[in-house]
Amino acid sequence: MKKILSSVTDGKGFDIGLVLLPLAFLFVLSGLPLVYNVVMSFQEVDMFSLGSFARPFVGFKNYVDLFSQPETGPILFNTALFVSASIVGQFVIGFGLALFFWTNFPGASWLRGLFLVSWVMPGLVVGAIWNWILSGDFGVLNFFLREMAIINANIFWRSDPNYSLWAVIIANIWLGTSFNMILLSVGLSGIPKDLYEAAELDGATMLQRFFTITLPMMRSTIGAIVALGLIFTLQQFDLFAGITSGGPNNSSNVTQYWAWDLSFRQYDFAKGATISVIMIVFVMLASVVYVRSTRHEVRG
Amino acid sequence: MNEQIRNRLLLGVALVLAAIYLFPLYWMYVTALKTGSAMFATPPKFLPSDPQWSIYAHVWESRNMGRYLWNSLVIAVGAVSLIAVLGVGCAYVLARYRNVWVDVGLFLILMLQVLPASLMITPIFVGFSQIGLLETPRFAVVLAIAAKSMPFFVVLVRAAFMSVPMELEEAALVDGNSRIGAFFNIVLPLARNGILVSAILIFMQAFGEFVYSKSMIQAVELQPASVGLNTFMGPNTNEWNNIMAYATIYVTPVLAAFVLLQRRIVAGLTSGALK
Amino acid sequence: MGIRRRAMLGVIALASISLPALSVHAEDVTITVWSLDRDIQPAPNLINDFNKLDTGIKVEYRQIQFDDVVSEAMRAYSTGQAPDIIAVDNPEHALFSSRGAFLDLTDMIAASSVVKPENYFPGPLASVTWEGKLYGIPKATNTIALYYNKDMFKAKGLDPEKPPQTWAELVDAARKLTDPAANVYGLAFSAKANEEGTFQFLPWAQMAGGGYDNINAEGVVKALDIWKTIIDEKLASPDSLTRGQWDSTGTFNSGNAAMAISGPWELDRMMQEAKFDWGVALLPVPEIGAERSSAMGDFNWAVFSSTRHPEEAFKVLEYFVSQDKRMFKDFGQLPARSDIAIPSTGEPLKDAALKVFLEQLKYAKPRGPHPQWPKISKAIQDAIQAALTGQMSSKDALEQAAEKIKGVLG
Repeated sequence: MKKILSSVTDGKGFDIGLVLLPLAFLFVLSGLPLVYNVVMSFQEVDMFSLGSFARPFVGFKNYVDLFSQPETGPILFNTALFVSASIVGQFVIGFGLALFFWTNFPGASWLRGLFLVSWVMPGLVVGAIWNWILSGDFGVLNFFLREMAIINANIFWRSDPNYSLWAVIIANIWLGTSFNMILLSVGLSGIPKDLYEAAELDGATMLQRFFTITLPMMRSTIGAIVALGLIFTLQQFDLFAGITSGGPNNSSNVTQYWAWDLSFRQYDFAKGATISVIMIVFVMLASVVYVRSTRHEVRG
Repeated sequence: MNEQIRNRLLLGVALVLAAIYLFPLYWMYVTALKTGSAMFATPPKFLPSDPQWSIYAHVWESRNMGRYLWNSLVIAVGAVSLIAVLGVGCAYVLARYRNVWVDVGLFLILMLQVLPASLMITPIFVGFSQIGLLETPRFAVVLAIAAKSMPFFVVLVRAAFMSVPMELEEAALVDGNSRIGAFFNIVLPLARNGILVSAILIFMQAFGEFVYSKSMIQAVELQPASVGLNTFMGPNTNEWNNIMAYATIYVTPVLAAFVLLQRRIVAGLTSGALK
Repeated sequence: MGIRRRAMLGVIALASISLPALSVHAEDVTITVWSLDRDIQPAPNLINDFNKLDTGIKVEYRQIQFDDVVSEAMRAYSTGQAPDIIAVDNPEHALFSSRGAFLDLTDMIAASSVVKPENYFPGPLASVTWEGKLYGIPKATNTIALYYNKDMFKAKGLDPEKPPQTWAELVDAARKLTDPAANVYGLAFSAKANEEGTFQFLPWAQMAGGGYDNINAEGVVKALDIWKTIIDEKLASPDSLTRGQWDSTGTFNSGNAAMAISGPWELDRMMQEAKFDWGVALLPVPEIGAERSSAMGDFNWAVFSSTRHPEEAFKVLEYFVSQDKRMFKDFGQLPARSDIAIPSTGEPLKDAALKVFLEQLKYAKPRGPHPQWPKISKAIQDAIQAALTGQMSSKDALEQAAEKIKGVLG
């Protein structure tokens, strides 16, 4: 008994308790709802039977139905494009800004803080503002592009099927850049300065220092940010609702908006749940990649 | 090159970048002051011709914003406290070891936050209503937000703990510290900044949480500001200028507070705490 | 802790149940009402007035968002927490009444001296009816018509007192009014991929002899071809595909569109912000003499079948109905009744517009009613968008929609 007690306060038991408690909490509050969605994807769901589990099972019928719909393929492709383009854009711009502000000129820390504006603004407002910025006629983006003579006719970012997904991607890159930048800034400032001084004495160039010191030291931060960026991007909903509503003709539709549309616009909860299961599989693959990447982390 | 010129140049570039990035914020400010139709005018007007300054007082009073903001604050503080209590220890352990179980833990934590809130709300609502949690709706929202944001917090804080040298903790243990003592005296202070930044990010998200609050909190006296914002949206009418004025009142102080805080956190980080 | 709390709650619940039995005066019955009305709209104000009457019924109000009405309602209903009274959008009424979630009010209405079915416009009444029974009471109604900028008509040599009457005249006028150099489009409307797109398109389909159950009729193909002409020739902004009616009409108010198709909810903003002379005309028809039609919008009241106080809930509804004559004057909404004359507002522009809208309401048809309306509507939206983006011909798109709708109608 005493041994168990001391293990809980001072040994392995202490560690296990620290992990199990939050995991149990998460299991109840996130795991069970997830299971509910998975179960629902194998059932025939009626909007008035949401309160119980007792519903007729239909096997893979929902999956078969879903994949026989003509829009499924393009929407999955849109999702993949949206997620990868957004993450690359957010990360590259975010890292660039973080490195830029890291040079620590006077005023840098003030301005860096202001970039967090995209994290603070409510989703409804961000969606509406980007809707207007990306408007074909009165949109500010077209206005600037015209003034700078980059385009000579308005681009209908939201309503041209060739651009509509990119319209949302542009807005989403704006939205996620700040999160990337601020966390990468924290990571950068955690790297001991003497490492650089030593490398400089050894005659390493700036690029060499970046690849031999900065990147390896930032490995765990970068892994975490990309993994989280993926999940945030997959959950992005407000921008679709605010800018294109998935249109025109599904050209900017993605799984998370489609699942919502099926569940809460058409009240087809089973299909909504089926799509969410597809998303779970997608994130599962990404999670495996992240978890594997942590194996190569450098402990500071 | 002279240091001063270099600094001026960098500051100039920074100002341009900030101006571009902050444009949506500026557009929010300007739209609040425009009339309802002027925001749809072609070509766009960069300054309102007839600024409607009275809108702020009107929005504040008609929506009783003080109450809404207070509720947002209560929910955000509750959620961040709960996440911090549960999440810091978890992240610490996941950073301390390197084995298969850690892989499994990380994997589970990431997987559990995959679905957007709009798909999670139905099961959570059903579950909460069955155990009577909806009687205390703000607490229910705090729990739901904590579950939603904890994985985010754990993954980031774990990265912060990774930057604390293991030898420091081991040295403290050799010196006769207990595990708990070593954690609070050595490890936690060294990872402080990463934890604080993560907590602030979580706080701001919880402050603006919308999907759970609007479904679970039915009494208007208990609703947060994000729900109040949507009371300007109608079936056929959206009062965009009021929405933007409301958002201005809500965003500006939070942003200002963050600028001040992050300056101390990020900038003060390397001041020798590590060595 | 949890157990103790629950026990406490049980004690309190027991006490509150036994109290009315013990006391001489009956406790107030509490009726909860959910609707999307906000401070300046009917529900919260009428409820305040009702509570002042001290009838022994206390009404509690909760505002819900337009987008969430149905999902909130069914979530609450399936967990046994539904309100007593709710306001739902008229095309979604059948979803609930067909499933027995709403209370059949037929007998109560028959016995009522306040609610009389013959007083209502046929469209709204049809939307609360399911299999011959009344499952609700229309709350208000609206429809769409054609707004036009008289000053621009004059400037382009069109007669401002002769707005376009037919589809051909509409397209013709739009061509003359469109002026890219001045940033002016001929027309503003909404073909958005949500209910608004269906709402705007169905009247065109109905005027051409089609309908949701006959969406591939020849006339409907022609109607969609006209929409396509309007978009292809840029007589309306391409952004009409992703923009709702309110934002589209905003461009009319700001002088960037010469005509706009929208409803009476625009009137107040237009009165304040449109700096030009404007008028309202009936929706153009396919050709002179063709059947008129229009969309029918707005909400209905209904009582959930789970209510424990059906009589009291109906009394509350009767009070709402008794106040219908205030609907327009105080809240700017049109009552769904033909027996109430809309009083003059003292503003000639608005009065003239209202006359047109009241005339147009006579032709307003409900969407459905059908319990799976959202799926039918989605098929129509998909067809509109596929045709307007040029990804399918109007005919193919509507054939596909007809096929999907046939699957829903069974």
